[in-house]
Amino acid sequence: MLGLHLSSVEVAYPGLAAPVLRIPDLDIPAGARVAVTGPSGSGKSTLVNIVTGLAPPGSGCVLWDGTDIARLPEGARDRWRGANIGLVMQDFHLFPGLSALENVLLPARLSRVADTAMKDRARTLLAEVGLDRPGQPVETMSRGEMQRVAVARALLRAPGVIVADEPTASLDPENGAAIGALLIDLAHRSGATLIVVSHDSRLTARLDRVLSLSGGEILSDSGCEGARQ
Amino acid sequence: MIHFVLADLKRFRLGSAVIVLLIALAVALGTTVTLQERALRLGSARASEKFDLIVGAPGSATQLVLSSVFLQPAALPLMPGDTLVALTEDPRVAWAAPIGFGDFVAGFPVIGTTTTLIEMTTTGFAEGRAFAAEGEAVIGSAVDLALGDTLVPTHGKQAEGGHAHAGIAYRVTGRLDPTGTPWDRAVLVPIQAVWHVHGLGHEAHDGHDHEAEGHDEEAHDADGHDEEDHAHAHAAGEDHAESHAENHGDDHGDADHDDHDSHDAPAFDPDAPLDETWAAGEAPGLPAILVKPRSIADAYRLRQDYRATGDTLAVFPAEVLTGLYAMLGDAKRVLVAVAVGAQTLVAAALLLVTVIQVGQRRRQIGALRAFGTPRGAVFGIVWLELALLFGTGILLGLGLGFAATEGLSRAFAAERGFPLPVAFAPGDLLGFGLLVLGAAGLSAVPAWLAYRQPPAAALRD
Repeated sequence: MLGLHLSSVEVAYPGLAAPVLRIPDLDIPAGARVAVTGPSGSGKSTLVNIVTGLAPPGSGCVLWDGTDIARLPEGARDRWRGANIGLVMQDFHLFPGLSALENVLLPARLSRVADTAMKDRARTLLAEVGLDRPGQPVETMSRGEMQRVAVARALLRAPGVIVADEPTASLDPENGAAIGALLIDLAHRSGATLIVVSHDSRLTARLDRVLSLSGGEILSDSGCEGARQ
Repeated sequence: MIHFVLADLKRFRLGSAVIVLLIALAVALGTTVTLQERALRLGSARASEKFDLIVGAPGSATQLVLSSVFLQPAALPLMPGDTLVALTEDPRVAWAAPIGFGDFVAGFPVIGTTTTLIEMTTTGFAEGRAFAAEGEAVIGSAVDLALGDTLVPTHGKQAEGGHAHAGIAYRVTGRLDPTGTPWDRAVLVPIQAVWHVHGLGHEAHDGHDHEAEGHDEEAHDADGHDEEDHAHAHAAGEDHAESHAENHGDDHGDADHDDHDSHDAPAFDPDAPLDETWAAGEAPGLPAILVKPRSIADAYRLRQDYRATGDTLAVFPAEVLTGLYAMLGDAKRVLVAVAVGAQTLVAAALLLVTVIQVGQRRRQIGALRAFGTPRGAVFGIVWLELALLFGTGILLGLGLGFAATEGLSRAFAAERGFPLPVAFAPGDLLGFGLLVLGAAGLSAVPAWLAYRQPPAAALRD
């Protein structure tokens, strides 16, 4: 579980008048469960890229428990992300031709950190997300099952942070609800900080705090209001 | 990583197969050119190994070698038979043996020669024994006949309008061990038989005189050994010193095989004892004599002497072949350039395909990075995938090239009678290494593109 502190973060592209993201100051304490909402183009994806270290901000600090990942070189940022961030994405990003178990283990294997304990953990996680056939090729799975595999993969290395980018957007309501519940439950059990970018009000309503983005800025922050109240 | 790479290749198996096939074909082309050229050189060098020096009548040195070493049918001019006598008695000569052509049996050339040549140029008999009488024959290992078979020679190939010599038949008494030369396809008979079949011989002094005169004409008439000369020979009527082909044309023109007798030449007698010694003035004209000099110095002196006489020509087959190899080498260089061009085209096409493919896999590669895969591993995946395709293609191409060369060589051996040994040489390692290095370098281009790609690409649409 890691806490996030953003300060003076600004992402701008040449040719655009306004920055696509501008966050003067944001704190997400360790173990918090935060929803990020907002219309498309509001800067949600950019925020995800910044907090996961997929892209460095143009300026500002991205501090995760004191580590400014904006200052890390690319290789170090990849390593840090692999070890600390569990990513779940709208499009699952599973790799056809591999089984569910192999998909769960793939990033760890490519980072050369997969050991027997991790293989056991992968099996346990697949069981926890409700899949009882770890050897099943992912291309033969339903969308709901695929996202469960993706959730298991995100949790494999026991990350301190789980970042989910529209995890339910490509699922039917039933599966969406199940995945949402799974994410919240697993984050709660592991104590990981959970950041969910979503339009799904049923999902965001279940989280402790909602950040609304618009035009690259934080329009409202239920957490701050709650803190004030 | 390898597991992921294999799964990925399996997913794109059709495309992968096409890429491998393209590479394999391009590599096979280059391999075949190199191997086939080498096979031709090795095969022909081996075929001429035992032929130190060949003496013939003045004419084309190349044709003399092609006809005597490779048994390529051609009407050669004749030299005086006394040349053989002189060479046999020459102290610089270990042995000398006549080679007479012109007849065929079932498509196999009939070569008139002596037991000395058989003894000195082969490793022995697979079965049977050497000829001991005028009507006996020894067959090469590749001749499709059996011991005891009766052979009726035709003058010229039957398929090319030759016809049988009436009343003449050889009996097979022995089969030689394989020599790996065109002579494996030859039927060897006593030279005296060839002379007698064609109405030449030392008993016939009139005939001999004719030959001598004829020979003189022939010797000074460089273009007098052409197929068209059948007609000419017939018109001239008396020109017996033409090669056997023309000589026969003459006989044929008279349409009477008893004509032999009219020249007082001895008739073919299958039971006549073998006579391999000739006194001066006895031996009829000959197209070629194989000479084994006692030393290298003797070889050069003999060549010098028999070039100088004016009515003989002496050649080192190795020297003639060297000239032919130079031409072969030029042809090979052109073909290699073509093959390299084809390979470059294929490489360029593949580079295009793979760069496009990396673009299409932007999201997949980005996702790998997003999940924390190090950039080095991404480079490794893309590189390994391509290197595997290239490697498979190259190995397959080498195999394909080898198989194609083997096939060609086999077809050639069946046609020409001498095998072309197909073999890789140590020097091929360099080319192979360069090819592998090039493939590895080429694979690194898309891998580098993937390496440089930002991971955020996975999340953008």
